[in-house]
Amino acid sequence: MIQLFHVSKFYDRCVALDDVSFRIDKGECVILTGPSGAGKTTLLKVIFGAEIPDAGQILVQNRNVARLRGGAIPYLRRTMGIVLQNFQLLQKKTVYENVVLPLIIQGVKRREARQRVMDVLKAVGMDHKQRVRTGVLSAGEQQRICIARAIVNSPILLLADEPTGNLDADLTIEIVELFRRIHAEGTTILLATHNQQVVEQMNGRVVHLQEGRVVTDTEADS
Amino acid sequence: MRPLYLLREAMHNLRVNRGNVLIGIVTTAFTLVCFGVFVLLYLNLKNVTGTLQSDIEVIVYLEPGASEQVVSLVQKRLDTEPAAVTSTFVSKEQALQEFSEQFPEESLLLEGMDANPLPASVVVNLSPRFLDTESLSAFAERLKQLPGVTHVAYSQDWVDTLTLVVSYFELGAVVIGLILAMATVTIIANTIRLSLHTRKEEIEILRLIGATGVFIAIPYVIEGTILGAMGGGLSLALLKGVFEFFRLELNASGWFVGVEHILPIFPRQVSFLLVMTGMLLGCGSSVLSVFGLMKARN
Repeated sequence: MIQLFHVSKFYDRCVALDDVSFRIDKGECVILTGPSGAGKTTLLKVIFGAEIPDAGQILVQNRNVARLRGGAIPYLRRTMGIVLQNFQLLQKKTVYENVVLPLIIQGVKRREARQRVMDVLKAVGMDHKQRVRTGVLSAGEQQRICIARAIVNSPILLLADEPTGNLDADLTIEIVELFRRIHAEGTTILLATHNQQVVEQMNGRVVHLQEGRVVTDTEADS
Repeated sequence: MRPLYLLREAMHNLRVNRGNVLIGIVTTAFTLVCFGVFVLLYLNLKNVTGTLQSDIEVIVYLEPGASEQVVSLVQKRLDTEPAAVTSTFVSKEQALQEFSEQFPEESLLLEGMDANPLPASVVVNLSPRFLDTESLSAFAERLKQLPGVTHVAYSQDWVDTLTLVVSYFELGAVVIGLILAMATVTIIANTIRLSLHTRKEEIEILRLIGATGVFIAIPYVIEGTILGAMGGGLSLALLKGVFEFFRLELNASGWFVGVEHILPIFPRQVSFLLVMTGMLLGCGSSVLSVFGLMKARN
């Protein structure tokens, strides 16, 4: 699914990623941990093509992301769901309008899109708020909408960067449970967090980064 | 891609940025009005020149006492000339009568003379294809060589001057049109850039979920095109209003009685040209503004 070969990335003279190599197989759940500035976000960014690595190669579903042209990046992103810490929702649009956007972009027909949106909103427990503007929702609800938007086009890979960073402990449990359910349905997950509660609850393979290097790579408890 | 969604987004952009959009429309309208005024001046001058040119006659003056044979020879020669459409013989008596009719006060001067001093002539109407200076002078030169012809006259000089003025206007319209087009492009491009700036976060989100640069850019291009078209429409309304007022005033003045055909014209093509120019400028400037979006990676 994802293979990284000696990936390095520098910002001016700071090392963000230093010779990172590992692979993620289809259906795996990988938790990327490490302190702030360890390179977790940069690693996710090079995987979804927002950053170009200075060295190394990244294969995502057999496509070399490092060599993809700008015009090909949107098509790569359509195969994956992306959830970020700061929600990234269109605050003036309704829950429905936010979640249906990836389907509009991909040209899915209106009726089918409606059905799929309602299905994912039900799955994240937000179907009753489809007409509410996202700007008035709580942080936990906004993050659930982000997750709904990320999975509405049934991606085979879900990338999440500190998805519980803005949430309290109870909401964190709720969101992690949502990720566990998505993973149980066969979606590959790469989740970056420095929250130990999330690491324990997700019970996946843990890749620990420090100063841009992979320091440990621990398989999930069976 | 859903065209309706993209159109709705464009309309939403226009609503959200209505202040900037209004400024863009008004400024576009004023620049297009300036351009329109120039185009109208040019077209009207060209119309007047064309009308006057089509009235140009060549008068072939015959020597005093020219025989019927001479007249017949001149007319036969004119029949073979492709430049001559019709030719009419004007006798000395007819010339005197016409002079008296046209200049009743001056005709008194002729009354004291023993004989009619006006010569007989042949008036030639010309084909529009031969109205240029070179053809005319060559034609006149050929007629001068005919036996019995004393002088060949045609009022070309001032029409030439008018043609020259029109050609300067033509050049001026192109130069001013280009300058105003650049100004309009800058104004609309800035409006679109502001629109892009206010929706920076939204664009980031769209990129994140796999929107192509073209998908993101289309609503802004539609926005610019609508803005340009509205500017063009407003300029048309302003120009047409001022034009009709001007035309009514001229009509009321009575200066053009008998020559109404040279009154100012506002061709339908000008209306089309203004709106289309507005649309094209709007579309072009928004494409310029969103060009970076098409190439951006993040």
